[in-house]
Amino acid sequence: MTIIATPSPTASSRRPWPRLAWYAVLGAGLLLGLFSFGYQWASGLTVTGLTNTVTWGLYIVVFMFLVGISAGGLIVVAGSELIGSHRLESLNVLAVIVSGTAIAAAAVSIIPDLGRPEMAWQMIVSPQPMSPLVWDMAVITIYLAIAAIDLWILTRPWPMPRALRVMAMVSLPVAVLVHSITAWIFGFLVARPFWNTAILAPLFISSALVSGTALVLVIAWIVHRVTAWEPPPHVFGDLGRLLAWFVAVDFFLLSAELITAYTSQTDYHLAPLHMLLTGRLAPVFWSQILLGVLVPFVVYAVPRLRARIPLLVGAATLSILGVFAKRVDILMPGMYDPQVSMAPGIPAGRPDQGFIIDELYVPTWVEYGVVVGIAAFAGALITIGVRRYVLPRPEQS
Amino acid sequence: MRDEPDVLATLLAGQDPAADAPSAGGSAVDHLPPASRAWGEIDTRSQTPRWGMLVDTERCIGCWSCAVVCKSENDVALGMWWNRILTDGDDLDTPSVDAHGHPQMEWLPLACQHCDDAPCEKVCPTAATYTNDEGIVLVDADKCIGCRYCMAACPYGVRVFNWGEPAKAPGVEEGMVPARPAGTVEKCSLCVHRIAENQQPSCVVSCPAQARIFGDLNDDDSHINQVLRDRGGDQLLEQKGTQPKVRYLPPRRRRSL
Repeated sequence: MTIIATPSPTASSRRPWPRLAWYAVLGAGLLLGLFSFGYQWASGLTVTGLTNTVTWGLYIVVFMFLVGISAGGLIVVAGSELIGSHRLESLNVLAVIVSGTAIAAAAVSIIPDLGRPEMAWQMIVSPQPMSPLVWDMAVITIYLAIAAIDLWILTRPWPMPRALRVMAMVSLPVAVLVHSITAWIFGFLVARPFWNTAILAPLFISSALVSGTALVLVIAWIVHRVTAWEPPPHVFGDLGRLLAWFVAVDFFLLSAELITAYTSQTDYHLAPLHMLLTGRLAPVFWSQILLGVLVPFVVYAVPRLRARIPLLVGAATLSILGVFAKRVDILMPGMYDPQVSMAPGIPAGRPDQGFIIDELYVPTWVEYGVVVGIAAFAGALITIGVRRYVLPRPEQS
Repeated sequence: MRDEPDVLATLLAGQDPAADAPSAGGSAVDHLPPASRAWGEIDTRSQTPRWGMLVDTERCIGCWSCAVVCKSENDVALGMWWNRILTDGDDLDTPSVDAHGHPQMEWLPLACQHCDDAPCEKVCPTAATYTNDEGIVLVDADKCIGCRYCMAACPYGVRVFNWGEPAKAPGVEEGMVPARPAGTVEKCSLCVHRIAENQQPSCVVSCPAQARIFGDLNDDDSHINQVLRDRGGDQLLEQKGTQPKVRYLPPRRRRSL
């Protein structure tokens, strides 16, 4: 690790400008998010690019992505705890902070997608028990609580190995449930053949493992670079080795689904598939396969490449972007594939528009603004968590 | 012949031919001009009605009357339709052609199918979408949070969302039901407010080709059940297992220009 210049422990306190600049970025992001959301709340979702055909868009992609990200941390902690490995122990606190942040941000990201956020309390007073959305609300709440309890246990001055083990046994099945239920929101819909497949839940879990672990790696590296925090150098390579497996399984599951759909040669399956392979989503799909899967996999799998930490971090960043693209590739073919598609199509829902049948969905600045706000919210939570729980306290050192 | 009441003469005299029919009084239908109430009464109903509709695609002439009347009846905003007529072809004015190059005359009037096993109802997180005692799938706008899960779940694409405040063409008066607020999902209610007054839905009444038959599926004597017995009735996207209460009669002969 000689290539990484180690900053002196007091570097951050001596030079406050980078930190203040970071806070300014976070603050600006939060303001932009709040402004965009306020504007959208006042005008209605008509200021988004959504229509009556593509009723779910960027917000739902971000929601799926954030739920996925939240897997990494808790599974890294719980998984290594249950197999009795202590190699990644030094990452525990950071991993739990990343997980908790991601799931909190996921819960926040669903709010701007609602037509009437002020009525969201109806989900609590009048829940409809058959709805996967109600299950998801419940399991996300439980997952958030688990992350908070884990963080509390990990940050006690005294070790609590038994409690940690119990939490590991609880959190693994809950983590599996969070991703499965989020997948089932889509997978249960007979109206959307592209989503209505049993592989969706396993696929969500495998993508979650990729993006979650990759984000822990990237954030661990950033925190290591900008603060005095020193994880054991082997953790990056360890995470890289894990990622090789996760990416391979994720790619296998995706291929299994697409090949099965392709060989069926029925319009029912082929219409959404062609959109991915050769249609309007092809650029996203193929760059996801090339840059989001193949290139990072080579870096993770080849020990000589994996050993070069900046390269590894670059690969992990590509993995994260790749999983985001994959969320787009899962959501959009389902949305673009109406089952009754005769002319003139579906009412657009805007006074100045007639019917639409195959309209391209392009998010507006409002949607991007809200998403920037959610990212800033997540960034702020991670920053607070890292400063409070990961870095050595000044008075203690 | 002479003994039949002369409805036309009564109407011309400005009297209400349905005046002596039992009325709940003070209802929305009271605003209707007498002509609207003179016909379109529900033929017969059982103790526990289960409402259904049959669309005869052989009779449909693709005129969009039902779609337009539906809009004014239900105060459906600009850019929204609860009921629309799909054309077999590339666009409204470019129908598909047969082997001889003749334009086909086939249409599919499409609105909520009022499924017995409604996918929209199953996914609604707040039970805003529900099926009432008479089998009609409805949306309670007061409970709707606008998550649009029902729209993703509906295979027929008949639900529309109020993306902003509902907009109206200038000079258009209000419909027979209150408008829905921004941020909520809405769809065909089978004119539940008219059924309460023993009136058929406005799309049925307004169809100049009489392509729609409305009635009680639980009443053996109802017209809809007679036709269903005689000619059957296809379900749209039957393989989805939604069991719609709206059925379609296929054309018995080819129609082309």
